[in-house]
Amino acid sequence: MLNWLDQRTGFVTLTKDFLTEDVPGGASYWYAFGSATVFAMMLQIVTGIFLTFYYSPSAATAWESTKYIIEKVPAGQLVLSLHYWGATAMIAFMMMHMLQVLLWGAYKKPRELQWIVGVILFIVTLVLGLTGYLLPWDLNALLASKVAIQIAGSAPVLGKAVLLFLQDGSGIGTLTINRFFGIHVWLTPAVLVVLVAMHLLIFRWNGSAGAPIDTMPKLKPGRFWPDQMFMDTVVSFAMLIIIFALSIVSPAPLDAKADPNNTQFVPYPAWYFMALFSLLDVVGSFNFPSAVIDFLGLFATIIFPTLLIVVLIALPFIDKNPSRRLSRRPLVLTCTGLVLGGAIILSFYGQYHVEQQQMLHGINQPASAATTTVAATAAGGGGAAAPAGMAAGASVYTANCAGCHGAAGTGQPGVFPPLANNAVVTGPPAAVIKIVNSGLTGAVSIGGSTYNGMMPAWKGNLTPAQIAEVVTYIRNSWGNKGSPVTTAEVLVAK
Amino acid sequence: MAQPEAHAQAYLDPGTPEEQSRRTFMVNAVLTLGGVITLAIAVPVLTSLVPAADAVGNAWSPLTPDEWAALQKATSKPIKVTFTLHQVDGYLPPEDDAEFVWAVKANEADFKAKRPDLFEGSTKIPYPLVYLGFTIFSPICPHLGCRFSWVDAQNKFICPCHGSEFTNIGTHIAGPAPRGLDPLPLRAVNGKAELTWIEYKQNTPDHIVLRIG
Repeated sequence: MLNWLDQRTGFVTLTKDFLTEDVPGGASYWYAFGSATVFAMMLQIVTGIFLTFYYSPSAATAWESTKYIIEKVPAGQLVLSLHYWGATAMIAFMMMHMLQVLLWGAYKKPRELQWIVGVILFIVTLVLGLTGYLLPWDLNALLASKVAIQIAGSAPVLGKAVLLFLQDGSGIGTLTINRFFGIHVWLTPAVLVVLVAMHLLIFRWNGSAGAPIDTMPKLKPGRFWPDQMFMDTVVSFAMLIIIFALSIVSPAPLDAKADPNNTQFVPYPAWYFMALFSLLDVVGSFNFPSAVIDFLGLFATIIFPTLLIVVLIALPFIDKNPSRRLSRRPLVLTCTGLVLGGAIILSFYGQYHVEQQQMLHGINQPASAATTTVAATAAGGGGAAAPAGMAAGASVYTANCAGCHGAAGTGQPGVFPPLANNAVVTGPPAAVIKIVNSGLTGAVSIGGSTYNGMMPAWKGNLTPAQIAEVVTYIRNSWGNKGSPVTTAEVLVAK
Repeated sequence: MAQPEAHAQAYLDPGTPEEQSRRTFMVNAVLTLGGVITLAIAVPVLTSLVPAADAVGNAWSPLTPDEWAALQKATSKPIKVTFTLHQVDGYLPPEDDAEFVWAVKANEADFKAKRPDLFEGSTKIPYPLVYLGFTIFSPICPHLGCRFSWVDAQNKFICPCHGSEFTNIGTHIAGPAPRGLDPLPLRAVNGKAELTWIEYKQNTPDHIVLRIG
């Protein structure tokens, strides 16, 4: 039977040939990161295909069909959650795989192109994560993707074109969902599969690099089949068990349906983008002239990530030191350690910050917890639970704003509008940020009365972090109730 | 095993009997774990293809006074009655669709005499055919799903697509249809008539339910 097949197709010979491969130094669990990434990719492709049986990409159906998958489709929530946690597993294992290649110097001659294809695979996978994040079309999908799209749009020269391309128009709506769906489901997976095939073929041509040593002759060869394959399978199996456990214990979340007018929700990025998100936050908290702040914002969102990618791609040509021994490559290892350590610290800081913001508003929490927090806010109006951001905002307000708008936000008739019970203040944050950033002249009408004072521009006098704090403060004082504002929002607003 | 090549030096040495037996174990382990992994993924994704419980739901639509009045005009000569069907279509918001059906005044004895197949075997219909003195027929031809009409001049239902013909109580008399017309369930709840929609599989003598409500 197999002979019959092999004579006509060569499949058996090809498979045997593919599996017959030396592993320098013998099989090792250290070599399983790459194959685990491939396994996670296959899991994503299978679960993704079956999700498209129900998911429908449009503003009217994206959230509804996702809810239908969770609530009505048999095992639908499990399949969705496997896809959700599979994404995390794929990116986590890919990062470990990449880190290992970096540490072991496996990108060096003759494996330069294999490394470059790998870096491109990493970027393509991040694009998959980013585009998939919008598809459920819940509040977090919309608001987090908005930040990502605006960041892409803030790039010099090409920014506007990129923004229009990503949104397919002037706003994030049904066309954006359709576009992200096309990118997430058709374009990037096709590119991914081709690149993975290329990555594996080049791998076969060069063979495995093995542990980071320079001595010749090389390590004693071990067998890929079945020795290494056994370890790869064990790791993939263990990963699948963890993905299943996470899917059952903590299924994929679905917030309320996306609503561009929602002013209560604090969006949060996927964990693998948290470091970048957090970097933007940190940059905004410095007290520098506004030109410097603008540059730092651009640095955090565009320049640094671009630089990182360029350096990664060029690494085999920059680092020409032929040695792979750890002790002979202090520079590369130091840089790797710094970037990695920075990313981890920033991620934790960003997570802490998001949770602070969420606590401030008593949202994004399990229903029971949210109820109590909202009740506490309503009753206490900034009692013991008031977060640090509010206190900082209050001192900025007292020092800079209270002179005209009054300590209680009452304003002065005819000149300075009240901030308490003012629909503009609690409305879309972008409008409030713009007024504080750039000032306001000319008559305005608030609550039927006209005010004709002059509001100075605070950008340059206050840091973006201070502006975020004071805007958060005025949106949540004197009975006002509005969403907190992040430094990132202030930085992105021009 | 294929001829070892330059990249497969490890295969030149067959290994000790102990190594060989360990490899046999590993081959079996890979195949077993691979099978378990395949099953673990296949079961949920294939389960997700089973239609959700209320995707084949059971929604009764009460007749409005106007619809009830229209139904009253039916005699042994069938008439077309349009009623509002409450439809649930997947995750879309529920919608009210206007659907027409055919109503005819009938009694159970006629059906017993002329359409005995509706009372037994795989062609049996499990609900009363006549309710409140009326029978309601689905407007869908049991042949290939076209919508047929009552032709007064010839005193029969005729389907425009392939010429199947039926009597006023739905007995198949000519054409390719494999069975007579399909009666729909009609019932009274608190004195109000309610109707529900059933689609049966076409082009088979059996009554196989595809959709309710």
